[in-house]
Amino acid sequence: MSDGAMIEVENLNVVFSKGADRVHAVRDVSFRVPEGATFGLVGESGSGKSTVLRALSGLNPDWTGQVTIAGRPQKPKRDKAFYKLVQMVFQDPYGSLHPRHTVDRILMEPLSIHGFDNPDRRIEQVLGEVGLGPAFRFRFPHQLSGGQRQRVAVARALILEPRILLLDEPTSALDVSVQAEVLNLLQRLKKERGLTYILVSHDLSVVGHMCDELAVMNHGAVVEELSVERLKRHAPQHPYTRQLMVASLGYDREAIDKFEDFGIGG
Amino acid sequence: MSDTPLLNVEDLKVQFPTRKGLVEAVRGVSFSLGREKLGIVGESGSGKSMTGRSILRLVSRPGIVTARRLEFDGIDLQRASEAQMRRIRGQRISMVMQDPKFSLNPVMRVGDQIAEAYRTHQKVPPAEAKRRALDMLSAVRIRDPERVYRAYPHEVSGGMGQRIMIAMMLIPDPDLLIADEPTSALDVTVQLQVLAILDDLVTQRGMGLIFISHDLNLVASFCDRVIIMYAGRIMEICDAKNLAAAQHPYTRGLLNCLPSIDGDGGALPVLKRDPAWLEHGLEHGLEGGR
Repeated sequence: MSDGAMIEVENLNVVFSKGADRVHAVRDVSFRVPEGATFGLVGESGSGKSTVLRALSGLNPDWTGQVTIAGRPQKPKRDKAFYKLVQMVFQDPYGSLHPRHTVDRILMEPLSIHGFDNPDRRIEQVLGEVGLGPAFRFRFPHQLSGGQRQRVAVARALILEPRILLLDEPTSALDVSVQAEVLNLLQRLKKERGLTYILVSHDLSVVGHMCDELAVMNHGAVVEELSVERLKRHAPQHPYTRQLMVASLGYDREAIDKFEDFGIGG
Repeated sequence: MSDTPLLNVEDLKVQFPTRKGLVEAVRGVSFSLGREKLGIVGESGSGKSMTGRSILRLVSRPGIVTARRLEFDGIDLQRASEAQMRRIRGQRISMVMQDPKFSLNPVMRVGDQIAEAYRTHQKVPPAEAKRRALDMLSAVRIRDPERVYRAYPHEVSGGMGQRIMIAMMLIPDPDLLIADEPTSALDVTVQLQVLAILDDLVTQRGMGLIFISHDLNLVASFCDRVIIMYAGRIMEICDAKNLAAAQHPYTRGLLNCLPSIDGDGGALPVLKRDPAWLEHGLEHGLEGGR
């Protein structure tokens, strides 16, 4: 089954709460990501795209189904080696860095947990790779701009030399000019290190720019999986994907009246 | 476009004293607005929100707002007393903020908040205010206005919360609506539906709209004219439909660094900032593209 697939997900289900509050947040999601590819998960808020990522990363242990990463089946609870292989970059660079730790301490912590040697050299190197000079090493997050913080978050993920990066809306909190810098950084690092990415985004243009394959989610289920070529030909099959596509092209008064509400099961 | 502008702004400046001296958030902005949709686009820190807030005199101390002219429908907003301003705010000029979570009263039913906005400006019995509030909720396309009227802010979704905010801002029937990133917290489809509501209201009521946003493509497709701001100055004012042909290197840079569905995944051009942009903005409302 796994011919060079870095990530394989089959029948992933995530359910929160019980009884009347029961929310079936992810419904039978399956996809596979070849090594070195970028896979996009697209959807609106509440579609379950981030929940898939949190289940993959081990942040949420309450899921059922099969997850195979780098050829190894994963249980809900992960071991330390897993976190060396898979790292995550979060949406909000203002919330994901400890406000009272310096960049140096933020980067040192994963190194000491995993017992890496030469921490000094590694920190300097990774800061250089994400385009921050050594001058940033002893700054606090509040002394950095949003784009610089997101670079620190990428550096923290990269310093363990993972093979997979899970990116949860990595640029949606940033200005477009800064977004371009961070996207370029991610593309360069992927090329240099042969990384595999899963990119969660609501922005079809970011996904079209970055990804090879994408899955469109709505109400917890994948409604369509398509290649980026198909997206570029503006030829998605599912009406929900087509509507997202129209919406991403900008304001069009007439098109809006034709918008539908795609309910569960759509 | 009508001949007498609704709003005239000349040489608007907003300054904040800090330990290191005065910081200028807005440095000499001039524009006029008719009954149209005017977009203000810029990155964070460009002064676009401060421009919107200073029109309503909502910049609080120690901020200092000065302008050669700040005139709304013949009223000098700089000289108006607080009492006059209270009559203008909400009733004549209203403002929709970015996040409904922080703008609605969490312990009051949303319908009562909308009705209150109406009764603050009109002497009407409560039942009449409630009826108007329900009408307004249906005008912003809320399907079950009776139920939503009774809901508390935490019981409604982000998109619905934003529509409730808009209903509340529109119920006094203002002449000018300032919308500060009213839709950036929403999903794309909901965002466009909310904009369609605003669009229809501008057309039907002849309202003026200032739409503050960081989303160039959205503004280009939605507004009539666009102001591009950078570092507290206006770089360029142009017709929205001609934004793609904009001249200023900053505008061009912003447009170029957007990824696109049709992109090839190659490196995006990165915006190179010219220090000269900090020194020279567009002077005194001499607008291009009209």
